[in-house]
Amino acid sequence: MKNLEESIFLEPATLAEALRFQADEATRGLPLAGGTDLMVQWEAGVRMAPSRVLNLKGLAELHGLSVAGGSLVIGAGVTHAMLRRSPLVRQHAPSLAEAAATVGGAQIQALGTIGGSIGNASPAGDLAPSLLVAHADVEVASVRGARRLALSKFLVGYRKLDLAPDELILRFHVPVLPAGASETWRKLGPRAAQAISKVMGSYRGRVENGHIADFAVALGSVAPTAIRLPQTEAWLRGRALNADTLDGAEQRASAEVTPIADIRSTAEYRRWVSGRLVRGFLEHLASL
Amino acid sequence: MSTTVSAYRHVGQGLPRLDGDEKVRGLAAYADDIPVPDGWYGHVVRSPVSRGRLKKLVFDPAFDWSRVCVVTPADIPGENIVDMIGRDMPFLAHDWIQYKGEPLALIAAPTRALAREAGSFVRAEIEEHPPLLTLRDMIAEYKRDPSALHQLAAQTISKGSVEQGFAAADLVVEGEYWAGHQEQLYIEPQGMVAFPEPDGGVFIQGSLQCPYYIAPELIVTLNLPLEKIRVKQTAVGGAFGGKEEFPTLIAGYCALLALKCRKPVKIIYDRHQDILYTTKRHPVWVRHRTGLTRDGAITAMQVDFVLDGGAYTTLSPVVMYRGILHTTLGYKCPHVFVDGHVYRTNTFPNGAFRGFGAPQAIWALESHIDRCASALGMTPEGFRLRNALHLGDATATGQVLSEPMGTPDVLEKTLARSDFTRKRARCSRGDPSAKKWYGIGLAFFGHGSGFTGDGESRLKAKAALDLELLDDGAPGVNIRISSTEMGQGTFTIMPQIAADGLGLPMARVRCPHPDTKYVPDSGPTVASRTTMVVGSTVFGAAQKLKTLLETYASETYFGGAPAELVDGRFRNRYTTDTQSFDAVARRLIQERGPQRVYNQFQLPPTIKWDQKTFRGDSYPSYSWGCNVAEVEIDPLTLELKVTKITSVWDIGRLINPVLAKGQIEGGLVQALGYAVMEKIGIKDGLYDASRMQTYVVPTALDVPDMIVEFIEYPYTHGAPGAKGVGEIPMDGLAPAIANAVEAATGHRITDLPITPEKLLASRELQAT
Repeated sequence: MKNLEESIFLEPATLAEALRFQADEATRGLPLAGGTDLMVQWEAGVRMAPSRVLNLKGLAELHGLSVAGGSLVIGAGVTHAMLRRSPLVRQHAPSLAEAAATVGGAQIQALGTIGGSIGNASPAGDLAPSLLVAHADVEVASVRGARRLALSKFLVGYRKLDLAPDELILRFHVPVLPAGASETWRKLGPRAAQAISKVMGSYRGRVENGHIADFAVALGSVAPTAIRLPQTEAWLRGRALNADTLDGAEQRASAEVTPIADIRSTAEYRRWVSGRLVRGFLEHLASL
Repeated sequence: MSTTVSAYRHVGQGLPRLDGDEKVRGLAAYADDIPVPDGWYGHVVRSPVSRGRLKKLVFDPAFDWSRVCVVTPADIPGENIVDMIGRDMPFLAHDWIQYKGEPLALIAAPTRALAREAGSFVRAEIEEHPPLLTLRDMIAEYKRDPSALHQLAAQTISKGSVEQGFAAADLVVEGEYWAGHQEQLYIEPQGMVAFPEPDGGVFIQGSLQCPYYIAPELIVTLNLPLEKIRVKQTAVGGAFGGKEEFPTLIAGYCALLALKCRKPVKIIYDRHQDILYTTKRHPVWVRHRTGLTRDGAITAMQVDFVLDGGAYTTLSPVVMYRGILHTTLGYKCPHVFVDGHVYRTNTFPNGAFRGFGAPQAIWALESHIDRCASALGMTPEGFRLRNALHLGDATATGQVLSEPMGTPDVLEKTLARSDFTRKRARCSRGDPSAKKWYGIGLAFFGHGSGFTGDGESRLKAKAALDLELLDDGAPGVNIRISSTEMGQGTFTIMPQIAADGLGLPMARVRCPHPDTKYVPDSGPTVASRTTMVVGSTVFGAAQKLKTLLETYASETYFGGAPAELVDGRFRNRYTTDTQSFDAVARRLIQERGPQRVYNQFQLPPTIKWDQKTFRGDSYPSYSWGCNVAEVEIDPLTLELKVTKITSVWDIGRLINPVLAKGQIEGGLVQALGYAVMEKIGIKDGLYDASRMQTYVVPTALDVPDMIVEFIEYPYTHGAPGAKGVGEIPMDGLAPAIANAVEAATGHRITDLPITPEKLLASRELQAT
């Protein structure tokens, strides 16, 4: 195993400089934001320390948080602590604020970033479901230019992103919670705090005259990436929000996930509880 | 003892921990803080297979071996054996390999990285054999044909005739109960340093519970006499039994390397190594068969108690003994048969962990008692009150409870304090219309204080007190015992006890870290024995030293009139003359030098034990406890929250009520982890949860409201009358929670930990 002491730390002063480092394989570094995933993996020997680390911490371009054009624009360097406290996020994407509040402990929240969480591409990353139900886009850039794509397209597979080696994650565009809609977040972990999820998820939805007008639901830790449940969503659209609908949605959601067994939970429980979470979300929607 | 309660000035006070200040300030020196000039780092080369025969160790010539120091079995000066019970474990495997990670060779190098790198150039040629890895597989084999298993220990307890007992029963209730490994997860990982001494001996310092385990156990391996193996405890960041017998191994690795390379050698495990390559709580399978009469009497208790010992014997027999002695404890029953076994699996040897077999036994017993009550249509409290032991009743080994103690008092008081009967009426029992399921559950239990059986009379714990000039230049007393501070408060309560025995203020009494060069053998810091056994021995020593001082003061200052030492002053009993302790002790030390007094623990002569038949007085005394746990379960997800624990305890006289309560509360949190979340399995021969990321223990947010109260029934055979407190809080929470979960959901979970996954599986099993 390579010692981290031998790694070269690149300290770009601007985004442009960072992108120039990344443009060339000979100077490219592994992007490091809060380091809360990478430091642990290096220390544990699960992942080799790279020859070059690109420290993103000082890049002002990655730190904005604002509302523009009906979306929250969240820089990749925004930390979990900022997400959970920001009045903008709490107003316009409350389930994202709730999710950020359950990531690790206070120290992790102070360092870990939204860009790092998505960039780590773990199905257990707690922020992805809230972004998915809001139909969020991600904006990435390289010296070749910037591009913007739906987060659902960006999350390609287990630990896989639609991100070229020379590209960096710049920011997220999160459509604000529409008037009359609601959303929430729930996480099931092995203990009350500082836990990696067994299953977690978010929904965003709206009821009109007792019928479901819009309903988006996303779950994490039940498939290779955090996923939306398009079949369950389609089945729900336009239905009356009653007991039969809850039963049907629970069944369909359980059938739509493909969880595995691992150290945190069983495939059976994850499958069953996925349906239960969706039922809980519909109950939440009905109670408003 | 003639000492009356009024004589205690410090005993009974919730004084702050004397070692608290240096620990809060970061000044305490732990194993990794000891300066080791010119020291090398040790590294253990381990087996990559779970079972097999080692054919050859190949040291790859591509590495420059002159840069490091290597120890193979050929380099061991004495016998290649860890001198524990069974003597079946080699220090370094040389023929059969019994578990993955078993040490094959040791390497020391100037840097940790070089030592590890050298290790990667060692290749073991091993003829692999199929291993037995899990308790499940072991019990399947046990039910088929136990003789196919490798037995590490066996013992029975027999009272009356269970055949007769079952014949007299109206119904028989059976049940099987399981629990897996548990990791101690002390804050400070294992660590040790060995310094070679100029006289050929070795000086070992490190994180440990029992200096007098390590020193004598290394005699045959190092081929050194006891006086050349010096062991000193550093500050210890938690142990929970994990630093009872295991440190002998890491001390041995350091000592073997240090003696070969003639440099100090240090090994500090990181968390990953510490979880993978140190002892765990023994996994258990228990089968109960209980005979009952319609009116609620227990006529027979038949119990099979089987532990997964891991690869070698180590302390497993003793863990099993404590297990079988607690597996029926607390209840009247004329006919008992307990069959205890420990078998080998090819995993790291299991070892000591707070409770030492008793938590496993009580988990099964107190789950099963609820089942018995339910089979009879009785309430859990009614059945327990009907059958709990009282003064004068006999245990399974025939021990008659002859001193007043907290059974059934703790049970009655906990029931009243928790409002159990009223709250139980509103348990949900899986009500489909409820938004939350509520449950309340009960467990009642005892814990034997001190060593099992004749252990204390064979050991004869010793304590010494040194009257000498302390580090501040004034006279005072150093307590010389081998008992260690590991967070539980030994270094605070011993000065409290000694100060009261002497008639001195606390400030004149110290309890330094034990060093075998200075302290006699008071036994290991285990088995809930330190406060009761060593505490009463220290108290006796203090009274001896007090007499010595009073005699000197009488002769030297009071013309032969009797002197009495109270609060640091000698009073002439006939006049109003006084003399300060400072003046008298200074003069005594000047004239005669430092004074040392010894004392030795003695069991009352009435205590009798037959180790062969397991008949007699299995423990000098018992502590008692009762937990009522309340739980809330979310029917949507089956998530479980323990909301409240109400408990009452008899641990004898409270020496320091604040520390005692801390022991109980901390122990309950550890027991909560065992009950509902701590989970570690075997994957490819190694533990699957090998980091704090995957081995999940409770956080502050998981801790429920706790009510902890005491009733004091002092130990009657030695002042100041404390009994054991260290282990009992670990014993009885899991069954209380399982009983509460049953009341909440209608489902009984019989395999720890109790998780939403198991509740779901149990519901689905019932639905089919």
